[in-house]
Amino acid sequence: MSSAIPTSTEKDALLRAGIDRSLRHPVMFFLTSGAAWLAVSIILGVISSAKVHSPGFLDSCSWLTYGRTQAAHLNALVYGWGFQAAFGVIIWLMSRLSRQECRAAGLILTAGHVWNFGISIGLIGILSGYSTGMPWMEFPVFAWPVMLFGYFAIVIWSFIQFKVRPDGPVYISQWYLMAAMIWFPWVFITANILLHIIPGNPVMAAGINAWYKSAIIFLFFTPVALGTAFYLTPKVTGRPIHSYSLAKLGFWSLAIVMPWAGMQKLTGAPIPYFLPYVGAAATVLFFIPAFTAAVNILRTAMASGDVVNNSPTLRFTMAGVIGLIVMGTAAVFLNLPGSTLRYSQFSLSGYGFEILSIYAFFSFVMFGAIYFIVPRITRREWLSRRLIKFHFFISIYGIVLIALVAIFGGIQQGVGQEEFNISWTDSALRAFPYAWAMTIAWCAILLSNFFFFMHLLVMWMRLGRRSSHPTLLISDHGHSPHGEEGDIDTGGPGTASAAAH
Amino acid sequence: MSFRTFFLSLSASFGVAWLAVVIVPYFKMRSLEPLSMGDDASGTNVVFIPKRAGRITEGAEVYAENGCYLCHTQLVRPTYAGNDMFRPDWGGFKYDDERGDSRRETNAYDFFGEDFAQIGVARMGPDLSNLGVRVVNAYAMDISPEDWLYRHLYNPRWKPERRDSACPSFRFLFDEKDIKGNPSDEALEFAGIHGGEITPTPDARALVSYLLSLKKDQPVPDSLNFSPPAAAPTPAPAALIPAPAVGKEGDAVKTDAAPSEATPAPAEVAPAP
Repeated sequence: MSSAIPTSTEKDALLRAGIDRSLRHPVMFFLTSGAAWLAVSIILGVISSAKVHSPGFLDSCSWLTYGRTQAAHLNALVYGWGFQAAFGVIIWLMSRLSRQECRAAGLILTAGHVWNFGISIGLIGILSGYSTGMPWMEFPVFAWPVMLFGYFAIVIWSFIQFKVRPDGPVYISQWYLMAAMIWFPWVFITANILLHIIPGNPVMAAGINAWYKSAIIFLFFTPVALGTAFYLTPKVTGRPIHSYSLAKLGFWSLAIVMPWAGMQKLTGAPIPYFLPYVGAAATVLFFIPAFTAAVNILRTAMASGDVVNNSPTLRFTMAGVIGLIVMGTAAVFLNLPGSTLRYSQFSLSGYGFEILSIYAFFSFVMFGAIYFIVPRITRREWLSRRLIKFHFFISIYGIVLIALVAIFGGIQQGVGQEEFNISWTDSALRAFPYAWAMTIAWCAILLSNFFFFMHLLVMWMRLGRRSSHPTLLISDHGHSPHGEEGDIDTGGPGTASAAAH
Repeated sequence: MSFRTFFLSLSASFGVAWLAVVIVPYFKMRSLEPLSMGDDASGTNVVFIPKRAGRITEGAEVYAENGCYLCHTQLVRPTYAGNDMFRPDWGGFKYDDERGDSRRETNAYDFFGEDFAQIGVARMGPDLSNLGVRVVNAYAMDISPEDWLYRHLYNPRWKPERRDSACPSFRFLFDEKDIKGNPSDEALEFAGIHGGEITPTPDARALVSYLLSLKKDQPVPDSLNFSPPAAAPTPAPAALIPAPAVGKEGDAVKTDAAPSEATPAPAEVAPAP
């Protein structure tokens, strides 16, 4: 071990430690500020969800009217939490997979502040009544160039690292992440330029907006989460992925099908007739990339069942993958033209599907990644297995409730809307029980993320455990199956524990 | 696979969809030709361009800023996509006093003058495509339509039959102030407070102008009319014949519909309830 010439495993360990050290500040910044925005978003979600069934709640102030808090809630969730979690994971994974230390940590950190500045002024803009009124693009117009600039300054280094990487095969996670990094600016620039700079037919503008929402879900959040899951699962179990060709099939089906999705939300609107049908067909076909990837990841993980149960990372990642299966099923079930689409088009299902994709799938995989990455970059272990368990179970209860409401409640509400013989008041009242369920679900998710945020904050302050044993979700300390989880080289690079993985 | 191949394949798979569903339809729909409505009595060609401007477009901004689109849609879907046309007064009135059946679907010209069509994302509240028609014809019976909307915005649950409404109150769009000298002409009569008065802010006035402008029931050119009246070359479907009881004497629609009354009267022609 202490020979003068380092062996290749020792070199690897040194390289990994160097990468983790170089990225500590930007990654921790993205993850903690993302978690803070998640908390803001959930609080706004509880407030606006409560207003749906109790409209008198906090109604005296213009800043807290439903139309503003609900818009702020979704935008904070998407751009504050979703994108920042994705940035943290992308820059770390791309460095690790390209085997390059990050040489621009300071610039990325600055760009991260620019992004956060854009989100902050955007949210203040929405709450103070300067929203644009375009769903998911409600930030006042001045915010998007700031965000775009921040985005490029954050991810450009990952492209460069990929370009100068050492020779070797490219892993499927890199394809997914690269694709997401290319698709997002394309979608974002297209939508913002068409809607803000080149005015066109207002109905078609609404169509572009529906396509934008769909593209953010399917062409950014989905590939980022899949790339992460394809990295974490083999890494933690120590097994290669079940089928590499299936993984490629999943990737290319996502790339070919999903850009067409989105405009089914405008079925019946005066836009060219093929657009809603193409959108519905593409959204239904989401089950192909979803199921191929989910089966592949689950088969990989199920080969070592104990690890899934014990490792926080894998437990969250697998829950996210199951969320992906539910999301793929819901995409089919909610978007069948001629049968369910007319019920889901203007009901709670739309919002529910968005939450399903952002929280049940994407966020769970991101939590898994955070439980993996943070100990490595802070060189401290998670403090408390109980806090992790609370975070996991309460989040699961919340999101299962939301999924049930999204799929069945939304359809029930839609059936009521379509019953033209009963009065509209009676139709609208059908949403009340589901609105209550949503509020309860958001309260559960708020509670679970309170634990998560506190835990992450403690880790950020480097108050985690100094140990070479990872925090696993088993109660006895007697033996630690850390061989499979992978040890963290808290003893320093080059030590035996570091060389083991 | 090299990065170059990857990037080209990715651009191709995304680019085709991007052109087909986003760029080409958007630029094709950018400049819709005004449609001819035929000649009027004096021989001038009338075009269909329901443009809105001024305070109405300011009201559209208030509508957007306060997130009305999160609960209200502005889309009357054709029957293949939903039952909106069958809901009384959503798509217009089936038994309009002057024109008989004034119902129609939303068309691409309906949002002229707005930046963004507020199609909406959910129907926690009713569709607002024809709110203006509804307020004038059905809701504001003893007060002016503007007053009805001010009351509704101030407290959506002010009527017993609306006590279950989930609509938020927009009290912040109104000013409460003490009366000094003469009371304001614009003060709301319903909500007087002791020694004071409540007046709509400019935002509230713009919003109400906008809401009253939501009328998508005007006659449309034949090329946009998917349920043409009996004047069209093809015989009208029975359901669209106006009920004889409400048609006015000498009404064009009724006169034109007369020949088809020879056909056996279907159930839908039964008088309005």
